[in-house]
Amino acid sequence: MASNPMDSSTLPTDDYETLISTTDVELLKRAWRNEKAAPEILQFETDLIQRIREQILLMDETVEEFTSSGIDPLTVSLYQMDLDRSQFLLRSYLRIRIQKIEKYMFHIESTDELWNRLSREEKNFARRCTDDLKRHLDETVLSKLPDNYQSVQKQSVISEDDDMVPKPQLDTFVVCRSKEYLTGIQLEDGPVDDRSKLFEMEPGVLYFICYKSIKALVESGKIDLV
Amino acid sequence: MKMLLKSSSFSSFLMAGQSVSALSLFSAEELEFIAEDETIEIIPNLRMEPLNLLCGDFGPFFPQIPTQVPLWLAVALKKRGKCTIRPPEWMAVEKLTQVLEAERDSQEMSEQLPFHYVEISRLLFDLARDDIPDVYMVRSLIEDIRDVRFHKVETDLEAFNGRTVAVKIKNLSAMEVNIVRPFIGRALQAFYKHDSPELIPDPERVSDRRQQVATTAPRRQLRR
Amino acid sequence: MYGRKACQLVKELASGEKGQLTLFNIDLIDQVIAECSQHHLELQSLIRKMQEQGLDVQTSRNADHYGALIHHLALVRNKRCLMAYVHNRAEVIQSLIWKVGPILPQQIEERLSHSEEEYFKKHSSALKSYMSRLELDLTVDMVPPKDPYIQVRVIDDIGEGIVLSDDKTANFAPHSMHFLKRTDAEQFISRGLMEELTG
Repeated sequence: MASNPMDSSTLPTDDYETLISTTDVELLKRAWRNEKAAPEILQFETDLIQRIREQILLMDETVEEFTSSGIDPLTVSLYQMDLDRSQFLLRSYLRIRIQKIEKYMFHIESTDELWNRLSREEKNFARRCTDDLKRHLDETVLSKLPDNYQSVQKQSVISEDDDMVPKPQLDTFVVCRSKEYLTGIQLEDGPVDDRSKLFEMEPGVLYFICYKSIKALVESGKIDLV
Repeated sequence: MKMLLKSSSFSSFLMAGQSVSALSLFSAEELEFIAEDETIEIIPNLRMEPLNLLCGDFGPFFPQIPTQVPLWLAVALKKRGKCTIRPPEWMAVEKLTQVLEAERDSQEMSEQLPFHYVEISRLLFDLARDDIPDVYMVRSLIEDIRDVRFHKVETDLEAFNGRTVAVKIKNLSAMEVNIVRPFIGRALQAFYKHDSPELIPDPERVSDRRQQVATTAPRRQLRR
Repeated sequence: MYGRKACQLVKELASGEKGQLTLFNIDLIDQVIAECSQHHLELQSLIRKMQEQGLDVQTSRNADHYGALIHHLALVRNKRCLMAYVHNRAEVIQSLIWKVGPILPQQIEERLSHSEEEYFKKHSSALKSYMSRLELDLTVDMVPPKDPYIQVRVIDDIGEGIVLSDDKTANFAPHSMHFLKRTDAEQFISRGLMEELTG
């Protein structure tokens, strides 16, 4: 299993306070927000999700024990509410990713960088998705077209790129915030004479910026999407 | 090139008092959910063992001893008559009057309100009205502040100059960001489409596919 | 006029309500596909003509070359429209699984082609398989959770000794206030016998 850049053990250690006081639920919430806001699928948080699932399982058992051992209903309902909140985040996180896979399945399958961000179960799902959709497209349209025009990904054999495949728009503008002072951000898009300018971000301030420009910083955990 | 963002849909949103649309990234419930994790002070009227929740450890709780808990927990206890809630210090008539004046006097957004001020105040109005001194005045002030801020956001967008490549949005609250996000996003993108020498293809729109025709002379390799 | 039928296909897509499907237009699809075959035949015959004249097909630029090019472009455009039509509908089918579950209401099923029905079943099964491997149902919990209990006031006399889901009994006298599960209260609220209190 590849090491996960968002794993709490690799967060910048100069923020020790945050490190020791950030719960996994907080981390899950952050991962959820990033996934919601990012146009492309992000790295699956393998370790975090595993820890969360274990904690949820344990908590579920704890609540059951409480209920049967007659702990006061108030306490039980508070624990249950906390559990419900974490369950929602977990399900929503996974759901957003699955829906991104549904939307961009061919693109993800054929782009190594994206494919490697999927969990093992997501990869299985994605493969089935592309098989099923390909078969459907073949049967309904492609097999009935002339040779040289039957590809799912390309318009015809002379296409240089996969010009028929839906792709996420990386030049979407997103709202983001940095925890630290960041300099030297190269702006990928925009008016030509601005492109060579290097951009800076003050900590804690919100910015609207082109996703492409900050992609790597989101992946490394330095910027959060809001 | 001045960008006029008085797009009719944006203005009519504000007029209809809608805070969330189908274009918003977060639904109103999701915004509230996020805000419910903010901490607030309560004064319990019971004794309760510490709560070791997934989202953190809270308590132990003693009668009359103030303690900090997440908003969702505060509200749950309040509903069950187990505590009173101490409203945050910004939710007071004097403070809010000051903020309202500051908002009216300047084009800048005040930084005195927390990111989730809309959701926090709404929750407290719904479920802890009796813990807020001068609650009707407080609510009316917050509504006025919301209005003033909205109109500032609208005029900011109008004055927005397309030469900027990234926009610093100082002091917008969570809900304001959520509303404004799809409009700014689209407008910025539209600018780059005009500015850029190459057409940026939009793979989602079918009518654009016409433009994706190969621009080089086709080299037809027919299979024999 | 080339491409008109394909254009109609796309218009059909655009005219429908978002997230809704119209009847699968098998006739129009067949017609567009037939046009593609026709274009291909024309294209091939023009190429052959050039070859018979001893011209280099890759580099010659005469009327036949451009004629063939037009047929190629028309074919490709037809393909894009066909694919857009089927692909878009497939996306709607995917979203239906999230909205209505693994069984399609009959009125929707009537509008699908046979292949689309198969696709629906297969995709449902792929999702189900993913969820069961995780042991997590992702089709629930679509909105953030709220406190399951709410405060209510009784408007009309509902009666005494009503048993609730948490095994408590309640006497719902007029104007009395209670703290109960939203799910218990809903039936009374919807009949106007109770109202939810805020503040």
